[in-house]
Amino acid sequence: MVKTITLRIDDKEVEATEGMTILEAAKKLGVEIPTLCHYEELEPYGACRICSVEFERRGGSRIVAACCYPVEEGLKVRTRSPKIDKIRKTIIELAAVTVGEDIAGKMRELADEYNADISRFRSKVQIESTKCILCGLCVRRCVEAIWDSAIGFVGRGVTRQIAIFPEKSAICSVCNYCYVVCPTGRITSTGPNPPFPSVDDVLAGRK
Amino acid sequence: MVELECQHCGYKWDYRGDNEYYATCPRCRYKVKLPEDKAREVGRRKLSLELRRNLLTEKQPTKLLGVAGTVNRVIEEFGYGKNMLIQTLLRLQRSFGWLPREMVSEVSKQLRVPLSQVYQIATFYKAFPLAPRGKHLIRVCMGTSCKVRGAPMVLDKIQRTLKIEKDQSTPDGRFSLETTKCAGCCALGPVMTVDSEHYGNLKLPDVERILSKYE
Amino acid sequence: MEAVKLLSSPKEIENLRQRIRAKRNTGKPVISVCVSTGCVALGASRVLDAFKAELEKREQKDKVEIKQTGCLGFCEQAPIVTIYPDEICYFKVRPDDVPEILSKSIDKKQVVKRLLYKDPVTGRRAQRLKEIPFYKYQLRTLLECNSKIDPKKIEDYIALDGYDGLVKALFKMTPQQVIDEVKDANLRGRGGGGFPTWLKWETSRKATEEPKYVIANCSEGDPGSFMDRSLMEANPHSILEGLIIGGYAIGSHEGYIYVKDEYGLAVENISKAIRQAEEYGLLGENILGSGFSFKVTVHKGAGAFVSGESSALMTAIEGNIGEPRPKYIHTAVKGIRGRPSCLNNVKTWANVPLIILKGSDWFRSIGTKCSSGTAIFSLAGKINNTGLVEVPMGTTLRDVIYKVGGGIRGGKRFKAVQIGGPSGGFIPEQYLDLQVDFDEVANVGSMMGGAVVMDEDTCMVDAAGYFVDFLLDESCGKCIPCREGLRVLSKTLNTICEGEGTREDMQIIEDVAETMRDASLCALGTNAANPVLTSLKYFRDEWEQHLKEKRCPAKACKALTKYYIDPKKCQACLICLRECPAEAIQGEKDQVHWIDQERCTKCGVCYEVCSFDSVKKLSGEPVPSPPPKGMRPIRKRGG
Repeated sequence: MVKTITLRIDDKEVEATEGMTILEAAKKLGVEIPTLCHYEELEPYGACRICSVEFERRGGSRIVAACCYPVEEGLKVRTRSPKIDKIRKTIIELAAVTVGEDIAGKMRELADEYNADISRFRSKVQIESTKCILCGLCVRRCVEAIWDSAIGFVGRGVTRQIAIFPEKSAICSVCNYCYVVCPTGRITSTGPNPPFPSVDDVLAGRK
Repeated sequence: MVELECQHCGYKWDYRGDNEYYATCPRCRYKVKLPEDKAREVGRRKLSLELRRNLLTEKQPTKLLGVAGTVNRVIEEFGYGKNMLIQTLLRLQRSFGWLPREMVSEVSKQLRVPLSQVYQIATFYKAFPLAPRGKHLIRVCMGTSCKVRGAPMVLDKIQRTLKIEKDQSTPDGRFSLETTKCAGCCALGPVMTVDSEHYGNLKLPDVERILSKYE
Repeated sequence: MEAVKLLSSPKEIENLRQRIRAKRNTGKPVISVCVSTGCVALGASRVLDAFKAELEKREQKDKVEIKQTGCLGFCEQAPIVTIYPDEICYFKVRPDDVPEILSKSIDKKQVVKRLLYKDPVTGRRAQRLKEIPFYKYQLRTLLECNSKIDPKKIEDYIALDGYDGLVKALFKMTPQQVIDEVKDANLRGRGGGGFPTWLKWETSRKATEEPKYVIANCSEGDPGSFMDRSLMEANPHSILEGLIIGGYAIGSHEGYIYVKDEYGLAVENISKAIRQAEEYGLLGENILGSGFSFKVTVHKGAGAFVSGESSALMTAIEGNIGEPRPKYIHTAVKGIRGRPSCLNNVKTWANVPLIILKGSDWFRSIGTKCSSGTAIFSLAGKINNTGLVEVPMGTTLRDVIYKVGGGIRGGKRFKAVQIGGPSGGFIPEQYLDLQVDFDEVANVGSMMGGAVVMDEDTCMVDAAGYFVDFLLDESCGKCIPCREGLRVLSKTLNTICEGEGTREDMQIIEDVAETMRDASLCALGTNAANPVLTSLKYFRDEWEQHLKEKRCPAKACKALTKYYIDPKKCQACLICLRECPAEAIQGEKDQVHWIDQERCTKCGVCYEVCSFDSVKKLSGEPVPSPPPKGMRPIRKRGG
């Protein structure tokens, strides 16, 4: 018998089953929490932190990622508050550093909603825009498709990027798993030449 | 014609070649050792009687040659588990000096780990050099204590003496220069290690004296 | 040495202990040479070889025993040699001193006065360790026996009551009683967090999934700390014993020890210790006939600071990249491969055998009410007596820095001490009377760990920038706040250090730091802003000077400092002229030297090599105009 857990999201009560995350419980209620690195059929990743929500805990508030936090009995979650709004605004502005000036799609909607000034940090840190926020959706989808994935992360920290392994990329001409999930529009096409640098180029550049 | 089965990927095929020690699997390129009776069959086709006699009496060990062999030996020692991946790579890097592309591909094949994951690990950690290094590795510690005690000046002096920058190797292949976050000798900053020898309490004149000991 | 026999009962190990002790009670002099990484870096292996060669030459090899030990703590005075049974300590020993030591101390039972420790204030020589100020104020419960143990010989450890705690736990206590004893002793995790150890063990014990794991964390990524390295090199068996007792308490039969790859000697010593323990039957199946089995594997880290975080470490042991994961479910419940895993720092494990053997009352009698036991610090930075110290919890910082540490090097003024690595934040002078204890340190926004002392020559803005750069390099890059936030912080701090900061920059720093603290995935991100925020809080005036006056009070920021030769003091010795890498110094013999500001790269070499104190650093003031051409130096009397 799966246990039912009752919690409150934005002052509305919802019944969730044990093992659900706050994001899933909110969806059941119809409350929309924005996400960038989340995809229904994949395991939650927790990289973009846009889905941060707040709840009270022992006198202070705690901020967690809704896509990963399991539901608990008696939680009082708030999905919008001045603190959360500021966090989401700053995260969009930080993400804009790598994405560049022309933001499209989901990110543009979020930027408009939270009044983010996308060139605030970008003017300080002048780097080439890669249009990639390293949400990992393309890699996770590729692993789901063929396990011995054609693309993968290389590097760590700010040097982290996505590279393609030529010997595994034969299937790319007929697959488009990564193309459909990219939130920034970086992956313009798949086909025989997917727009990722080859791992040999990345390693040579790093020498 | 000899019927063979690849123990790595399970592929079965008819071997028509004339190498009597091992055959290359057409699917995964693994080197498959010919069982003795089958080797005899192949050998009978082309060897003289004397060599045939030697083949029958001597026991040939399973030998994977080249890169595949090196990798296989290390994996045998650690076991075929995915959790020993990092330890295997560390041992290979120590004995070979760096990790060429072929070696990483072999590790991925023999341990049955996706290539993208092996590369994710090899590029995440700083201990794995993916390009050939000089003969002697110089590591200058830039930890908090060493920095406060003057490590940037030591690094500067080494860079000027060898005429290279950080993370580069000298053109003659003698030295490679790297920085490390903490060598563990914080009480004796600034600290430098060359290969596995530590030098502490460095002053600027010591640098040339120490470097000249290595050729 | 007798042949190794598998021990199969407590009585056998006790008999072995008596036999070893009897064999050592011959009155033969023992020379202990410390060969830990620190002493070797200052030449200890050459001293050891000199001793061996000299004894060979004198044919006295059987009359004197040479022991290679682990760290004694006083790294400033390395290499260190101790002579037993008289307990004479010699410091800064050179290979040339060896014949004199042998002839005087061994043959004639005299002391070599010049090698004894000399008190810098009173000038008196001290013969025994207890008389030296560095050791007098310490309470070395864990580190005391380092000078008597050769880490590569398990017999030394057994002779000093080693593995007696394990015998007591396995045969006289139930697992629940072990946890209760640790609870009574109030042992708190010494990895920096101070989490009650018994609570972690209890959580793992109650979890039902099998198999369970215990892990010892020796991946000391913090720059400035070397406590774990010293402990692992000097006394690996104490950690092993603690790990086995912990495994017994929570019901685990498999342990991992995670050591950083850079610690070569530590890996070697712990691997040898495991092999020797297995030979004696203290590891493996049916330990000492108790029915409890345990095995330990050593896992080497591969060069990532973030892998020292507990969830990242467990991911690394599984064979993936060492990325932290959100700890909404504790690792004590779901750790390696989703099984209960109990991770503790090496120092915590080393305390466990002592608590079991000597009792929780003894442990509680040391330290303060909420933090029992001792704290091990690595003192480094601009301090006179650098090294490893062990003081009871509750000692004030002032005592640690001035009494044990001997004060600031070069007589300069104290500015700040940085405890606990990059997550720790700076502690300024007004908190020097803080008692060292988990809660007190957390109240000022810091964390327990290694201590690096900074004096008036350290620029606090530059130091904050150093830590941000360190964390930028070591961040795993998974979550946006930490990765991009650190990039923005680093660039902003660099602009301020170059004198181009604005008010907007301060606002940016505060906003980004707040977001990182709230929204990051792991503790690296949430604590990454600590150095910047504490530096801003306690040293605001330095930041203001950088912003408004373009001045660096400590004269450390290259872009804001200029070098200048005082014509009244310069002796025209040509040394700085030759050493200057940019050839920016003009002058000749008998003509006062002058630095061309256009070519100067501010490397600081001239400041280092001038023995007449005539090179000055200026910041925020204009450089005086050049002296008249051909001006002669004012010679000091006496050449």
